[in-house]
Order: sequence, then C-alpha cells, then structure tokens
Amino acid sequence: MPLLGSVCLVFALALTLYCFVVGVIGIVRKDAVGTALAETARRAGIASFVAVLIAAGALVYAGLTDDFSVAYVMHHSNRALPIPYKIAVLWSGQEGSILFWILLLSGYGFVLRVRHKVDRQLVATASVVMAGIQVFFLILANFVARPFGIMDRVVADGAGLNILLQYPEMVIHPPMLYMGYVGLSVPFAFALGALIMRYPGEKWIHITRRWTMVAWLFLTFGISLGGHWAYNVLGWGGYWGWDPVENASFFPWLTGTAFLHSVMMQEKRGMMKVWNVWLIFITFMLSILGTLLTRAGLVSSVHAFAQSSIGPWFTTFLCIIFAVCLFFYIKNRDHLKSENQLESLASRESSFMFNNLLLLGAMFAILCGTLFPILSEAVRGYKITVGAPFFNKVAIPIGLLLLFLTGVGPLLAWRSTSVGSIKRNFTWPLVFSALVGIVLIVVSLPPRMGAATGPWLKTWLSGLELPKFYSWLAFVIGAMVIATIASEFFRGGRVLQGKLNTNIVSAMYHLMRRNMRRYGGYVVHLGIVVLFIGVAGLAFNQDKEQEMGRGDKLQVGHYTLVGADYTQDDNANYTSEAALLEVYKNDQHVLTMTPELRFYKANGGQPDHKVAIHSTLLEDLYVIYEGKNPDNGHPIIKAYVNPLVSWVWIGVLIVTFGTGLALVPNAAPIAARVPQAVAVATLDKQGMQPAGVGK
Amino acid sequence: MKRFSKLLLLPVLVVLLMGADNQEARYQNIGGKIMCSCGCAQMLLKCNHVGCPNSDRMIRELRANVQNTSNDEEVLNWFRKNWGVTSVVEPSTHGFELMAWILPVAALGLGLLLVILLVHNWRLRSANVAPADLTLDPKLEALRARAHQETEI
Repeated sequence: MPLLGSVCLVFALALTLYCFVVGVIGIVRKDAVGTALAETARRAGIASFVAVLIAAGALVYAGLTDDFSVAYVMHHSNRALPIPYKIAVLWSGQEGSILFWILLLSGYGFVLRVRHKVDRQLVATASVVMAGIQVFFLILANFVARPFGIMDRVVADGAGLNILLQYPEMVIHPPMLYMGYVGLSVPFAFALGALIMRYPGEKWIHITRRWTMVAWLFLTFGISLGGHWAYNVLGWGGYWGWDPVENASFFPWLTGTAFLHSVMMQEKRGMMKVWNVWLIFITFMLSILGTLLTRAGLVSSVHAFAQSSIGPWFTTFLCIIFAVCLFFYIKNRDHLKSENQLESLASRESSFMFNNLLLLGAMFAILCGTLFPILSEAVRGYKITVGAPFFNKVAIPIGLLLLFLTGVGPLLAWRSTSVGSIKRNFTWPLVFSALVGIVLIVVSLPPRMGAATGPWLKTWLSGLELPKFYSWLAFVIGAMVIATIASEFFRGGRVLQGKLNTNIVSAMYHLMRRNMRRYGGYVVHLGIVVLFIGVAGLAFNQDKEQEMGRGDKLQVGHYTLVGADYTQDDNANYTSEAALLEVYKNDQHVLTMTPELRFYKANGGQPDHKVAIHSTLLEDLYVIYEGKNPDNGHPIIKAYVNPLVSWVWIGVLIVTFGTGLALVPNAAPIAARVPQAVAVATLDKQGMQPAGVGK
Repeated sequence: MKRFSKLLLLPVLVVLLMGADNQEARYQNIGGKIMCSCGCAQMLLKCNHVGCPNSDRMIRELRANVQNTSNDEEVLNWFRKNWGVTSVVEPSTHGFELMAWILPVAALGLGLLLVILLVHNWRLRSANVAPADLTLDPKLEALRARAHQETEI
C-alpha cells in the first residue's frame, strides 16, 4: 500500500504538470490544435484527482490496518486508537494534512473541470491556475513532506495520536476548515483566469461569487467547530483566545466576507472591479499565509500541530503568487475600469465601501497583532507577547461598527437614498434599539440603586466597566439589526401579499424564494447578531477554583457544586481520574457532573482534561477536574459560569443555514400583472425607494 | 439633527465618564494586561489555580505599584523589567511597540481618507455628467424602479 500511494503521488504530479504546461499551450494557441490540447489538459487534471484519491486511500488504509512500517502512521496512530480517529490520522500531521490538502484541491479541480461546459475557455484558464497550485503542493508531498516514508525497522505499536485531537469534532473540524481554505483557490483561479484572458462581461464574477460562498460557508463552519473544540477540549473556559492559528483562519474569512459584499457592487453597477479582483487575490494569499503560520512555527501557538521547516517553501509560493497577480494586473488593468461611479454617500454602495473598509481594517489590525512578535524579534531581538487584551481593544470596536453597518446597509437604496426614505426606514429600528437599551439599563439598575445615592445615570455608570458597556452596545445595535431585518421581510412580504392574495407568512416565504440570495443574506445577518449576543455574554463570565474533598462545596454564580465521589478507570487507550459532583442551583438539585482527567498510555501518560459542561440557553456551567494537589492529595476543581455561550453556536448554525439558503437558486418569478397606470406619483413621493429595493 | 447628534454623543460621554476611575479600576485594568508567569497561560487576575507559585506575589506587587505610581505605563514597565517582556500581553505605548497600536489605527484612518477622497472624486465626476441625467424621462425612471421592485434584481 505505501508503494501504491507513493506511485500514485508521482503519477498525480506528472498528470498535473501535464495539465499545467499543455493547458498553458492550449490557452496561448487559439487554433483547433490549442483546443484539442486544452481538452487533453482538462482530462489529465481529472485523472490527477483519481491518482490523489488512491494515494489518500492508501494512507488511510495503512492507518486502519496499523501498518507501522509507514513512518507517518507510526508517529500519529497506535493500535488502541478508535477507528474514526484512525481515519482522522490523515490530517493530524504535517505530511498527511498536505496530502489531504491536495486531495481537496484536486477534488475542487475535478468539479471545476467536469463542469467545463459552464464556460469552456474560462474554465480552461482557471483549470491551469488550479493546476499550478496543485503542482506546488504535489512537489511538497513528493519531495519535502512525504506521507509514505518507510521506517528503518517496524515497531510493535505507534506513538499515538495527539491527545488533544482525540475528540469527535476533530474528525470534522479540520476537513471543514480545509474545505474552506482550499475552496478559496477556486475563486482565485477564476479571478486570475478572467484577468489573464481579459474575460468580457460579468459572468465570471457570478461564478466566482458562488464558489466563494461555498468556501466561506465551509470556512465559517470550520472556524466555529474549532472554537467549539477549543471550548470543549482545551479546558480554559473559552472558545476564542486570539491564538495565532485561530487568527490565521480568521484573515481569509474577513476578506472573503468583504468580497461577498463588494462583489454586489460589480454585479449591480459594474463598480469596484480592481478592488474585487485584489480582494480575491488577497483572500487566497491569506489562506496560504494561514497555512504558513500554522506549519512553519513562525509564531507560538497552543494548537499548531504540524510544525516543520517547510516555511520557506510557502514563503516562496506566496511571493510567486503575488508576483503573478501583480504582473497580470499591471498587464490587463485597463480591462478593470468601473462602468459606474458612486453618486451619494447615503447609498447601498457607500455602505458596502465602509463595510469593506472595516473588514479589511479588522483583518489588518489582527494581522499586525499576530505578526508583531515576529517583527519585534527581528527589530529588537526579543519576541514580545501580544495577547487577548490587545486584540479585544482593536477588534471589538471595529466589530461593533460592522454590526451597526449590518443594520444600516440594507435600509439604504442603490445609487442614492432620499432623506424621506432614511427617516421612514430608520425610525422603527432606532426606536426599538433605544427601547432595548433603556430596558437593559433599568434591568441592571436595581441592585445598585440601594447602595448609591447619586443620580441614576451616574449610579449606572459607576458600576459599568468597558466590557460591560460593549456588551450593552452589542445588545442595542443587535436589536436595531433585528428590527431592520424584520422590517425588510415585513415590507417585502406586504408588497407580495397584495399581489398573491395570501397571508403575510406565505407572502414572506414567496418573497424569500424569489430572491434567495438577498433574504438568505438577511438570515446570515441575523445569525451574526445572535453570535454577537453570545459573545457579549463574555463580559459576565465568572470562575472559581478550589480543593474539594467529599462533601466540600464550591459556589460559583448561583450554582453550588458538592463533591460526591472520586473514581479511577483504566482501559487500553488511557487511565483516568474523575470527580462526581452534585450540582445545585438555588438549592435545587440540577444534575451530576463528572469532569475527568485522562492519561494516555501511548503518549507517555500525557494528561488531558475532559471538561464537564452543563449547557442552557442562558448560561453554561463549565467544570474541570484539575487533578490532585501534589502537597496533600486533595482533588482540585475549577468551575466557570459562562453566560449566553449557547447563542454563539446557535448564531453559527443560523449563519450556516442562511448561507445555504443564499446558495439555493431562486424560484421562478411569480407572474403578476403590471397595472396599466404605474403609480409614478407614489414612487416619486417615496423618493424612488420602493420596498424590496435590495441586494 | 441636533437631537440625533446628542444621541450619538451619549456613548462617547459614557466612555469618557468611565475614564474618571478609581484605584481599583486601575488595578483591574492593568491586571488585565499582565499574564501570570507560572506557565498556566492565564491572565494574572484570572489565575486562581491552587498552589500557584507566582500569582499571589505578582498581585501584591501590582497593588503596591498601582498605589505608588500614577502612570499605568510605568507599572507595566516595572513588570516587563522584573518578570520579563512576555509578562505583559499588550504592546507598550512608547518606543518601537507603539507601532503595534499606531498601525491599525493609521491603516483604518488612511482607508477612510481614501474612501472619502474616492467618493468625493466620483461625485465631482458624476456632477459633470449631471445634465445627461436631467434628460431622463421621470416616467421611465419610475418604470425602471418598478421593474427593480418586481424583479428584485
């Protein structure tokens, strides 16, 4: 099997090289021979996917059959490892994850090449770009990070999988994240291909947008699964720690989000062509930078699992990509001239521009913080630490501004919005958000009113810290965005309700089916609001740690934990210690929790916390068994009360659902008779902003 | 409009008022930028693990420094000097590290300036071609808006 895998990888490299070189010749020669050559290149590209698939299958098979003659399997698996994790071994180390990357890349390439009838010439050019990327990764897999390296002598058992990766989400988190990262190479290939061939019209941007949405969907889901995994596995009570590897996955997400907004300006108005092309280029380059950060060990991270010396390869690849993009941009920049220009600051276009500015500003700020330790080492000779306080300080205000734009943008019309329209559209959302703000202040006042004697505002402010103020602001702005989305659905629904003679719910359903992209987008916005509300709960986290013998109590928030018993276990994979804790809330027994500490045998008895979490919509009770105090042998328990965490995951699910909706094709337009006399006066009176003017 | 601008000023006022803080708030604020150096990877004020060899001492030193020094940056520098540069998880606000703070703000400011210049430029250009727009038939425009509404495109 290792031999088959190695041969297939060499074969895949040969096929991809053929696809690249002959594909270029096919593009350059614009005659019948060129077309025939391009077709052979396309078929070679398809065949390369089959070769990579067999190679990946060979590695998985080696893992499943405990073939420890393969060095990679020996280093990342062991006999007692459960089967799902043996499959996950494929992406658990450097060499395997590069092979997995190639598998996904050639898989995307396969879909792209099979669907060549969409636009033969554009796909042929994009296929060549994809082949170029594939060649780089196949060179890595064949010569630098070989997954089928053979051991000098066969050992009885493997070293085992990293214990932090032995968690069900690890079976799906990396594939999702990789699908996102690798998926971004498709829009890149189309954008570069369109620029190279000076593609006429905007069809390429429609194709690119859909591919970007698919990659963005996977990236969003992958990042959130990573957060969920960190929350459940790393045992520090949080889901996002501004770790460099987390940040690395966030960079392309931010620029990809910017592109998904600004692309609408190109589709609707033929604007921002240069900006969009560079956004796509930068997004792809950031996905490669993320891979570089994760693998090259440039920055210290709690979960950079696959560090090695392949950094210079990725740096060189990044430089080549940038040079190629710059060359074709300079060569063909006249092809990217805008057809229209911005007419008013109070317009949908300008809201997209500010949205892009903020998203890129956030990306740049986080990039600065992530890379600053490297810069400080180069300039000052020592690596400073840039941690969560820095990122929170720069990213939270930008995030809140973005949330605000999420509410404002959809209420502005394309081209220009009249003052009347602004008044009409903004009144209710602003009133609703102001009400929510006041209610939150009133709700948070009573405990302090008795203690303080000053005026109410001063009383409220005296107990307010910046994180709590941000939290309050997130609720207020979130309320405005929800009101905006609701009003958009309602106003659009009312327009259709009259036409279809149906109820408002059915009308809103039809409205959504007629423009899945727009209303799917609103669902995504709703998910973002819910996610922000979940994150706002961070300001109210509480935690406590103490020694707990049998019968001892630990009070955290309104929970009381009572130590009931302590047990031990032993199986083939690990030994473990666990605490049995009875949990009471306001003197009512809620449940029994069993946080655990495992010691994995294959990893030299390395300890790993299995956190116990009691999740409700209002808050999570998060309990860790820290082990025994070495001085007196007493068990140590740490407990957190984390408010609103469930809403983070619900928000992500809504975002994912909304993106899925936006990808569904629209239903056929409903045949509605246009009245003879168009209500010109009415439309004029409303400043040409009819309900439903949107994305 | 005046009311609206007052409304916008309220959050600014709130933040400024929060700046008028006491020693405890300073202690909390500075403590939130210092990491416990025992290897627990927790922020100093959050480090509550049993038997931590450093956090009690560091917290005592923090309290003393906050009382004796009025400048927050001096307190952080004291920790950098005595517990190593990595004990403070926020770049300093002077010297080379100031760049970490300036760069994001400068980039955003520059971006904002560019957007404003771009918009200004575009508006000037569209003003030059305005006469052509005047010839548009308002009925035609209304029909176009109606079609926009109907087709959602």
